[in-house]
Parts: sequence; structure tokens; C-alpha cells
Amino acid sequence: MKYFIHILLLFLLTACAGNMVQDDTAATVSDNQGAANVDAGIDDVLIDDDFDELDDFDDFGGDAADLPSYSDPLEPMNRMFFTFNDKLYYWILKPVSNVYSDVLPFDIRLSIGNFVNNIAAPIRLLNNLLQWKLEESGIVVSRFVINSTLGVYGFGDPALREFGLEPKPEDFGQTLGVWGVPEGVYFCWPILGPSNVRDTVGFAVDVYTHPMVYYVEEFSVSAGYYVESRVNLLSLNPDVYEDLKKYSLDPYISMRQVYLDYRRGKIDDKLVLNKTDNQL
Amino acid sequence: MKKNTLITIALLLIVLSFSLFSVPVFAAGPTDDLRPTLDGIVNIITNPDYAGADKKELRRKHIMEVTKRGFDFATMSKLVLGKTYRKLDAEQKKHFEELFTKLLENAYIGKLEAYTNQVTIYKGEQIKGKKAEVRTHVENNGITLPVSYIMLQNDTGWQVYDIKIEGVRLLRNYKAQFKSILRKDKFEGLVKVLEKKNASLTKEGNS
Repeated sequence: MKYFIHILLLFLLTACAGNMVQDDTAATVSDNQGAANVDAGIDDVLIDDDFDELDDFDDFGGDAADLPSYSDPLEPMNRMFFTFNDKLYYWILKPVSNVYSDVLPFDIRLSIGNFVNNIAAPIRLLNNLLQWKLEESGIVVSRFVINSTLGVYGFGDPALREFGLEPKPEDFGQTLGVWGVPEGVYFCWPILGPSNVRDTVGFAVDVYTHPMVYYVEEFSVSAGYYVESRVNLLSLNPDVYEDLKKYSLDPYISMRQVYLDYRRGKIDDKLVLNKTDNQL
Repeated sequence: MKKNTLITIALLLIVLSFSLFSVPVFAAGPTDDLRPTLDGIVNIITNPDYAGADKKELRRKHIMEVTKRGFDFATMSKLVLGKTYRKLDAEQKKHFEELFTKLLENAYIGKLEAYTNQVTIYKGEQIKGKKAEVRTHVENNGITLPVSYIMLQNDTGWQVYDIKIEGVRLLRNYKAQFKSILRKDKFEGLVKVLEKKNASLTKEGNS
């Protein structure tokens, strides 16, 4: 029971500082997920014709694509939480992140980001192995060894800069996706932000496999560590959420679409964006 | 006499070389067709004569002239509306195309405009039938913005019909939003929302 509360709290706090973390990030494209298309009935009138045909462009060598389907039966509740998160962002997160950015120079924040990412290497290793990505697993280990030594406890990223070893991020939500577990319904969690059943389970597992939980007994230290890591990430990517809001007519739908595309792309490994771990 | 022959040969050579050089133009790939458009856009954005908020209107006018040659806004409008598009009359179609073009201008050009020292780096193209994706990186003072262009081959060559900025596909994303708005508020409602959004984006950029 105690563990359960721990996880739940960590879970909430993790996203506290950045509900965008895995969310409205860079996305890619790929369709054809096994989610139930509850929308089909209502949208019968609006079913796309030629767009479908054009849309399957992305699936080079993949399956023929349908228009991305999704399941969002909880939309009214999700929208409520979306509004709540929006207020949270503008009233708390953004001011905190702004002060944080003013106090700490960019380079320091980048180094903190590197450190935080380096420590989480076991999660990436575990999930690369679970997806039988042996070459990537090797790179994860190499990156960890190089950055922990030459990179001075992981504050630098010489593995990328000197050795050209790019990060190979994998989380348990992705592993579940690769294993064929369906997404389930879409959620917009309060504080946590966009997710679905699969990613929610994946996230809980990731929290539990994070080394921090084992290194430090004190709960508040772990929690503080998580909050800090998220504020740091947000401070390095200040415009992501605001751009999404600025250019969309319905930010809720826009974010949902971005999230679904992004996660599906990650699982399909069609994402060719070479971003560093410090970028949203 | 001899001089005339020389001139004739010279002229023939010129004509021949023209026809030779024009061959690759007809066989141009998506990147070749995209390049002049992007170069044109970047040239205007990075031109100090067009810099600043007070020059925005003029700058946008020139940028859009260039953009419209390489981007197929008519197809974009058609695709983003799906079946609804076919129920519209000619005037509504035209009005919608204007509104949607303006929205894309704000979202795409508005984003690019922030990078005033930008250089476009072409990262490769993939062609599948009549569709292609050209991946680029916009680099500006050490910051990289990944932008991909999804293109369609038509009679005039390759034209852009979707833009992927940092992995977010604009057309796809707007399509999902429009669908939800159309379901509740029909086409008239969508037009109102679009007009409002464009107005606020235009105002924001000018202030």
C-alpha cells in the first residue's frame, strides 16, 4: 500500500513541472493503430476520401494506412482537465520556469538536463532490451559509460558530440506498443497531461524502474528530483506549449492529435528526427 | 560566306545547349522543385530591407507570392475539409481557401520568420509514386528546426501539400481540429473561428 501511494505521488509529481514532457512534443506520422474508431459513426458524413489515399504516403514499406483512428469517449472530462492544466501552466509552471531560467544560465540548465538523462539510462537499456534492440542497447551502455566518465558524472554529453552516439530513448509505454498492446482510450490527466491507457501503465512502470527510487530512500528527495528535472526540461523548451495554443483553433484536439502521432511514430520507429534528450 | 557558316554553327550550338540543359528541368525531383521556393522565402526573411514588424505586411506579401508557386493551397484546402468541401459552392470554396491559406501563412511563415539568419539544409527526399517527403533542417545561430515538406506531383511538377514542423503535420493537425468544429458548428461556424484566429494572429504579429 505504501508503495502504491509512493508511485501515485511520484507519478503526479513527475509531470507536475511539465505536462508536455512526452506529450505535445515533436511528433511524427504513422497511422494504423489498433484503437477503436468510436468516432466513425458520428463522422460518417465527414469521412475523408482523397486524403486517405494521400495520407498513406508516410508508410513507406508499411501497411496501407487509414486515417488515424483514436478513442476518446471521455472527451468532456478530458477537456475539463485540459483547461485545468492550461491554468496550471500559466499560473504556476511558467512563472516558476521563468524564474528558474533567469537564475540559471542556459549551459548550466543543459548540463542538468544531461545529468538527469544520464541517470535514467537503465530505463532506456531495459526497454531497448525488452524490444530486442540489441544494437541500440549497446549504444545506451556506451553512452552511459562515456558520459559518466568523460562527461563528468553525466553533466556533459561527449558521447554525442565526440563519438556521434545519439540517444536511444525507449520507455515502457513504447515497449508495450511494440508488443502489440493496444493504446486504449485517450486520457488527459490533470497535471500529467495527455496519455492513454497503455502509456499510463508504461509511465508507472518507468517511475518504478528509475534508479533514483532505489538510490534514495527519502521520498521527498526523489519527488524533488523529479520536479526539478521537469522544470529544467520545460525551461529548455519554453515555446512548445504556447506555440501549440497560438496556432490552433481547438488546442485540445490539436494536442490530442500531436500526442497520438508522436507516440505512434515513436513505436513505429519512423521518427527520423535526431533530437537530443534535452529537446521536447 | 565563311563568317555566315560560323554564325550558323554558333547559333545551332546555342540552341542545342539550351535544349540539353532543359532536359533536367523536366525530370526535376521534389527537392529540385522545392529549392527555388524555399530559397525565395529565405531570401526575403533574411533580407534586412524587409526586417521588422513595421515591414510585416510588405514582407508577407512578397513571401506569399513566392510560396504560392511551390505550395498547392487549393489541394490543401480540399484535403483539410474532406467531404465537406464538395458541398460548398464556388464562392465558399474560394473564401475558405483564402482563410486557410492565411492560417497556414501565420503558422508556417510566422514560425520561419523568427529565424532571421537561417540556412536551409536538405536532409534527403523519399519518393513514393506521386508523393514525396523532403526533409530539411532550418539552422539559425546553432538552433535547429526540423521542417519536412510533403509533396505531390502534378502537371506543373512537385508541389507542397503538407508541412511537418518539428514532426507536427500542420494539415493533419488542422484537419482533426476542423472535423471537430464542423461536427458542432458546421461550415459557417468554422469560417467564424478561422476569421477570428487569423485576426488575432495578424494583430499579434503587428504589435
